[in-house]
Amino acid sequence: MSAGDWRDRGRSALERLVRASAFERVLISTAALVLSMFVGVLIILAAGRMTTCTTAATTFFGVGFCYDPFAIYDSLFLGALGDPINPLFKPLQGEFAAPFRRGWTPLNSQMAVTLRETTILIFTGLGVAIAFRAGIFNIGMQGQLVVGALATALTVLWTSSLVSGLVGTLVLIPFGLAVGALAGGLFGAIPGALKAYADANEVITTIMLNFVATSVALFLVANPFKDPESPANETVGLPDFATIPSVLYEPRDNFSIIALGIALALVGASYYLLEHTSFGYDIRTSGIQPEAAEYGGVDAARTIVSSMTLSGAIGGVGGAMYVLMILGNYQTGVPSYGFDGITVSILAGNNPLGVGFAALLFGVLKSGSIIVDVSTDVPPQLVGVLRGLIILFVAMPEFFRMIGAKFVIESDEGQAVATDGGVVEDNGGGSDE
Amino acid sequence: MNVDRRTLIKATGAAGIAGLAGCTGGPTEGGDSGSNDSGGSGGNDSSGSGNESTDGGSESGGSSDINVGMIYATGGLGDGSFNDQAQTGVQQASEEFGVSSNDVQPSEVTEFQTFQQQFAQGGEYDLICCIGFLQAEALAETSQDYPEQNFMIVDSVVEQSNVASYTFGENEGSFLVGQMAGLLTQQEFSAGAGQTSPDQTTVGFVGGVEGDLIGKFEAGYRAGVAEASEDIEVQVSYVGNFNDVQAGNEAATAMYNDGADIVYHAAGNAGTGVFQAAQEAGKFAIGVDQDQSLTKSGYADVILASMVKRVDTAVYTSIENVVNDSFNGGSVTTLGLEQEGVAAVYGDQIGSEIPEDVTSAVSESRQAIIDGNIEVPADPSNL
Repeated sequence: MSAGDWRDRGRSALERLVRASAFERVLISTAALVLSMFVGVLIILAAGRMTTCTTAATTFFGVGFCYDPFAIYDSLFLGALGDPINPLFKPLQGEFAAPFRRGWTPLNSQMAVTLRETTILIFTGLGVAIAFRAGIFNIGMQGQLVVGALATALTVLWTSSLVSGLVGTLVLIPFGLAVGALAGGLFGAIPGALKAYADANEVITTIMLNFVATSVALFLVANPFKDPESPANETVGLPDFATIPSVLYEPRDNFSIIALGIALALVGASYYLLEHTSFGYDIRTSGIQPEAAEYGGVDAARTIVSSMTLSGAIGGVGGAMYVLMILGNYQTGVPSYGFDGITVSILAGNNPLGVGFAALLFGVLKSGSIIVDVSTDVPPQLVGVLRGLIILFVAMPEFFRMIGAKFVIESDEGQAVATDGGVVEDNGGGSDE
Repeated sequence: MNVDRRTLIKATGAAGIAGLAGCTGGPTEGGDSGSNDSGGSGGNDSSGSGNESTDGGSESGGSSDINVGMIYATGGLGDGSFNDQAQTGVQQASEEFGVSSNDVQPSEVTEFQTFQQQFAQGGEYDLICCIGFLQAEALAETSQDYPEQNFMIVDSVVEQSNVASYTFGENEGSFLVGQMAGLLTQQEFSAGAGQTSPDQTTVGFVGGVEGDLIGKFEAGYRAGVAEASEDIEVQVSYVGNFNDVQAGNEAATAMYNDGADIVYHAAGNAGTGVFQAAQEAGKFAIGVDQDQSLTKSGYADVILASMVKRVDTAVYTSIENVVNDSFNGGSVTTLGLEQEGVAAVYGDQIGSEIPEDVTSAVSESRQAIIDGNIEVPADPSNL
């Protein structure tokens, strides 16, 4: 085959991918998931031959392997849901029993871990997605999350002495979330303003501000606001009434269905904002073609600052949730929710509605890794590889779609007679599904 | 083209299967011919932690049906110090008592509680070992939820009747290496890849995360240096975490450039950077937690000594107690110099070249601390 053939093939495949319907995209993602597991099985088997153990976990074709790939994937996905499947339920062998294990409820503690990770990742994923849609790569989500978390922990702690009981909960939780949003938003506005008015590359400024945020937080928590009773660097714990009450789940699971509800409401609100408001239209057009947007009357500088502020504010609420729901104080060593949020957003094609599903996949993988670690001898590094494979495989089609969308617009401009607006409208609508 | 592709897939598949079957690792009971040993060591290099956990887990079988759950600190296994030391303790126990164990390595603070619950809820573990003070808060809750479950925690105190707490006299051990560093920086001394410059009497300390625990290392070290001479300058720097090798390197390089001869680190994995910096500068370093001239043998030519913290003793003792049915829940055990919970051990390669007058002064101080004649501070702000 000649080079030209390959190029044509590649282009038509890319075009096909860009024009794929929502249903086709779900199919592609599912196929990618299955393929990643297939590759993962091979890696697990190979790793199982490279280590030594006394008893074989599984045997294929007369060769023993130290790790059983099916047990690992079983723990990874079903373990994250608290093992819902009845061991007698084997539809493949023609045995039908009740599909769910007796005593399983969706309210088990592992499910709580899955959903609480999902909740925080929805916030960070949404924040990144909104900035992305405005054409800004917000790598500073982690910093905005940290600032929001710390501000919430300190102000709620300070005000919790003024109120108490149910009134305290009703006042302090919204107050804490608002403080988180404000702090995260202000911190996100800094790189936005630097980009809008000083033309500073937001990738660099946001990365740098991540270090500023975590280091300043470390200093504050290690010195003036340190809990004197604790050897760790953490603030004094919030009183119980100042944390989000756990509904349905056990208090020790550190998960509240209310927080998930707020996250999902925010998903809907972000979708509405982007698709059905003039501000959302400004954001989208600036992201697709900034010059055209400005020509069309969009104040580019203002849009950049306000979308970064909004992005940071959502991240800040995520940080507030982390403090009010999971930890109950601020402690150094915040998990990398902000960086995971970038992947969640790409996985979701920067679509707010997709963020919910992408965050759930991340939550399942994160929580399932714990079960794999507990129930098998597989080293956690290998589990990390499997997680990475799944994310890579599922994200790549979307990633190529995002690149392809640009590419196809350009090639269309070459061939077809179309106004800029027409093309932009068409593809803009396509990627929103 | 199609034929090509088919051939390719066939060839890859065949090669893959042959490769997998040819691997000399895998289950030993399976009757693999060939050298299991070489396969074993090959596997050790690539995935050491998992391999070791398998060894600890399933080899034992026989004499005891005690089952131990190990929850490591966030640095994970393979850190060459704290967690590996804890693993040594459980391996020793599995050899001597035949206990079986299961290892987990949380990567984030928020995961501790989930791991503790996972272990506790099945009730299949006779003891759950929580390594590291960051687990204390989660354990305070978990131990209440599972009052029948025995726990132990290293480096912190949880006041529950089902938790045995183990802490260390890190300040006492650090005092000894501090005194050694203080004495050596005043002398002309060269060994291995390093040498001192006696005209500048400066030593350094690189900590991981600032706090009460690492503060004990710093306080003891500075007191030890002051014991050698009041005029020696001690530079102190904190990396901010226990993982960032590069940051550890930068902090130590700055100290060596400022004339420091010896830098002591209490920074977990980040301490590897201190050793790198010492080699680059041709100076000395002091290791922590384990005899790092052995665990980080690539740097043995600059490691004068290590302040060994016998986390393995704590883990081993707690398991021994459970085996003997004398679990000491609710108690706090402090392992200092006297209990041999901490010690200053000289480097494997260059430790023997340290002059006699230094080592004898250090061992005198050791006895004086045990006898109570020297009071070692635990808080650097009290110096």
